[in-house]
Amino acid sequence: MRLAWGPIALWAALLLFPLLVTVSDSAAYLQDVGTTLILAAIGASAWNIVGGYAGQVSVGHAIFFGAGAYVPLLVYELWELPPLLGLPFAMIIAVLFAVAIGLPSFRLTGHYFSMATIAVAELVRIVVSNWPLLGEAIGIQGPATPRGWWDLIFRSSVPYYYIYLAVLAGVLALTYAMERSRFGYYLRAIRAGERAARSLGVPVLRTKLMAFMLSAALTAVAGALYSFKFGFVNPESGIGILVSVQMIIIAALGGAGTLYGPLIGALLLIPLQSATNTLWGGGGSGLTFIVYGGIIVLLARFEPGGLIELWRRVGAAAFARPKRGAADAS
Amino acid sequence: MLLEAESVSRAFGGFLALSEATLGVERGEIVGLIGPNGAGKSTFFNCIAGDLPPTGGRIVFDGVDVTAAPAEEHARLGIGRTFQVPATFEDMTILENVMVGAFLRHHRASDAHAKAMEVLRLTGLERQAQQRARSLGTPGRKRLEIARVMATEPKLLLLDEALAGLTPVEVQRAIELVRTIHATGMTIVIVEHIMEVILTLAERVLVFNQGRTIAQGKPQDVVNDPKVIEAYLGHHHRRRRARKAEP
Repeated sequence: MRLAWGPIALWAALLLFPLLVTVSDSAAYLQDVGTTLILAAIGASAWNIVGGYAGQVSVGHAIFFGAGAYVPLLVYELWELPPLLGLPFAMIIAVLFAVAIGLPSFRLTGHYFSMATIAVAELVRIVVSNWPLLGEAIGIQGPATPRGWWDLIFRSSVPYYYIYLAVLAGVLALTYAMERSRFGYYLRAIRAGERAARSLGVPVLRTKLMAFMLSAALTAVAGALYSFKFGFVNPESGIGILVSVQMIIIAALGGAGTLYGPLIGALLLIPLQSATNTLWGGGGSGLTFIVYGGIIVLLARFEPGGLIELWRRVGAAAFARPKRGAADAS
Repeated sequence: MLLEAESVSRAFGGFLALSEATLGVERGEIVGLIGPNGAGKSTFFNCIAGDLPPTGGRIVFDGVDVTAAPAEEHARLGIGRTFQVPATFEDMTILENVMVGAFLRHHRASDAHAKAMEVLRLTGLERQAQQRARSLGTPGRKRLEIARVMATEPKLLLLDEALAGLTPVEVQRAIELVRTIHATGMTIVIVEHIMEVILTLAERVLVFNQGRTIAQGKPQDVVNDPKVIEAYLGHHHRRRRARKAEP
């Protein structure tokens, strides 16, 4: 493809970033922002499978992220096991939630699915906030000091950065393969028109459900990665509505339903968010909502396809003018 | 008999949109469904396509009872359909649109791609393969819908007003396409309200009025049936036919 140099440069920059910023005075801060960025890109890429490709806008992905964040810390709290061992259970729980939400709500079309996901996510958040086993509103903690490498506790954020980057590469490789498979074509067909997809033999309900399950499992991985680094989760940071909204905004900003859209969205939004947090400190936490709201308005009004679509339309037209007559035949 | 629809009815609440329609289609036939707006032909069409389960009667396709089967099952069994208002996948390229259809019988992407290219050549969309569907006009979209469904390798092709909204020149091109497809041995059921299209294409027509079939037979015979003329064609058509008959 003609854009092949773009991804190569992007991955090279991501690989070298933590090393390049060591020359800066605020290396640790920049590395930390980078780590947050990659994690956000993983979450948004996972959301993208069902929300982008299949066009089923879930506003409840915080449930899966929360499952991913809580379960590893819970297996430590209960049995002193390394949090990493909780990951497979977190993924299973996330998939079960996806089936429980998707099976009834995917039969309905329109916004019912989105509304169902919001409702269940808020319900889960309230239940967790009142459940002593899960630390109620205070949350739960992982091991304070590492008992071995398997506890994945590092003082610097650089090891996390590379672990996250490897997972992101895995998620994007999976998405890339999916895009080119029958499953990927079926997801895009469903997004474009369920009735037409059905008429071509696409098993719509099953395909949507599988996408939701896959997306949920990968989002749980993002949640687990979060808990490994922070060693602590509470209802707000694990299952709060902002967790879901952030995934949507990032994916939509870059371009929902495209391979690199979520990563590009994260590259823009996370530094912006970190900068505003630094500028205004804790007092600016409400600002996140304003930024998110502003992005939604701009995207909805000017470019629903996100930045990648903008590039395809404006950038591609400027660089390679299509031949006249080729574009408007019949 | 490829398709047998027996006394198919469909009610919407208390309104009987379709009442006891019966149709048998032999392999290789082209059958036309005609009638004024609201006559029940589209309802009947959607019952056969599996979009609308009938509230009465029975539909057997190729020996399988499909009366209550969902639309995707119809596609799998070999009933392909197009839509009255084209429902192409706008953001996908024309090739990708057709590949979605091809994936039904070819699970590997490379096989689906080969099948899609074959269909694009047949339907004359090859040159536009890499364009997005949204770049096409109405005739192109209708053509793409036919290509997409042909890629599912149907045994029966249902065309829902595939020629409506086209200019006379485009109609001619579309008729050629339908003929080309029919020449491959395809069985076709076509809903149409442009009489001349039905007269030139269909071997047999079924005329609907107010939810019932009021006549069926060869197009030439049907247009001369007084019931049909009164219910559907009206005086206008009789005059036009009389004019045409003059030397």
